[in-house]
Amino acid sequence: MRRLVIAAAVLALAGCGGEAVVPEGQGAHGHGASSAAPPVPAASARFNDADVMFVQMMVDHLQLGISLSQVGLAKATTQEAKDLAGAIDVTQREELTMLKSWLKLWGKPEGDGANLHAAHGGQPLLDDKVINETKDKSGTEFDQLFLNLMTGHQGAGVEMALTEKKDGMNPETTAYAERVVNTRQGQISQMLKIIGGA
Amino acid sequence: MKLMRKTALVMAAVPAIVFITPVGSASAHGYVSSPASRSAQCARGDVSVDLCGQAKYEPQSAEGPKGLKNCSGANGAFAPLDNDGLPWKVTNTGQTLSLTWTFTARHATRDYEYFIGGTRVGYVAGNNQQPTNPTTHTINLGGFSGRQKLYAIWNIGDTVNAFYSCIDLNIGGGGGTTPPPTTTTTPPPTTTTSSTTTPPPAGGTWAANTSYATGSTVTYGGSTYRCRQAHTSLTGWEPPNAAALWEKV
Repeated sequence: MRRLVIAAAVLALAGCGGEAVVPEGQGAHGHGASSAAPPVPAASARFNDADVMFVQMMVDHLQLGISLSQVGLAKATTQEAKDLAGAIDVTQREELTMLKSWLKLWGKPEGDGANLHAAHGGQPLLDDKVINETKDKSGTEFDQLFLNLMTGHQGAGVEMALTEKKDGMNPETTAYAERVVNTRQGQISQMLKIIGGA
Repeated sequence: MKLMRKTALVMAAVPAIVFITPVGSASAHGYVSSPASRSAQCARGDVSVDLCGQAKYEPQSAEGPKGLKNCSGANGAFAPLDNDGLPWKVTNTGQTLSLTWTFTARHATRDYEYFIGGTRVGYVAGNNQQPTNPTTHTINLGGFSGRQKLYAIWNIGDTVNAFYSCIDLNIGGGGGTTPPPTTTTTPPPTTTTSSTTTPPPAGGTWAANTSYATGSTVTYGGSTYRCRQAHTSLTGWEPPNAAALWEKV
């Protein structure tokens, strides 16, 4: 049954390669006016399957990254690693809010990220079990494990974003993909220096 | 017999797996993060992007057919990794070396092999299991000494491919003592080019690769921002792009 669902999702994604346009009058507006949060940048209405797939996969990817960063924030022993975990946590929450609003605007479901990942090249590095297991470690052993997992996870994000830059068409989404490439690369650089010594 | 049954089980599972696996992409990627392999040095910015090319963004993707002895997997985009003339940092070591792999996805692993020249100095079985977290191996360098290039190879269990990482070593004489600093192969640090190439944005004092404390203020694009959370800045985390980190004042 589960396989059928995956298969259906793959077929739907592989399906048309067409583009879609949100009907007039449904344009996104940042809904920050009434709250203290800064407005969420809206995505324009013209998008294709690659944009949707990237955003759906990123929603899952961001959530896993947030979960891991919270463990890092609580347990990392160096200030450098703690600061990075904290910054990843808050920036990815911001990205998550933005991406969910885009899916809503486009009339697309958030989808089942794990299945999407499985359909697009195998086992993601992180899942809840892997993240939970890090909580059993402490001290420098935890730091090494946390940094290594986060480095790999963000590296997978770069791969997804490079695909979006190549295949996507929505300008806000491809611009976001460019920022994912740059910010994750910068984070990876910082983490590799902590892992291997500067 | 037991093995036969296992094989039969695996075979039975194959059709479903094939069905959901896209053609031609292994997308199980990995590289040696410690000591810093050539790929890791590209990602760290130790060696500039002009020299490294794509390895800066995808240190994990030096993928090629199994059985090679090179650093790029014979993958054209990663050819700079094969260039012994680039300013790679050299790791000083004794006869025993611990290496840690970073993976971006988990994938069934046939094994790991380590070569110096044509000699296999290390082998770790993978048993077609997913890698452990973290994956650290301790190998013996087989009596080699001096300046050597170590090939670290991750052989994937269910594709024809492997991932390649090269680590430049200076192996000291017996006992693992730190060798005298004759590592003239290490050129003066080129990091200045990579870590300070990002110019301060026009009209602002915000800069990438700078440590900002909570409450500190910067200008960017004519506006002033206050840091909401301590962090080291990055390209892509410019204040207007990262409201979670910077509040406009």
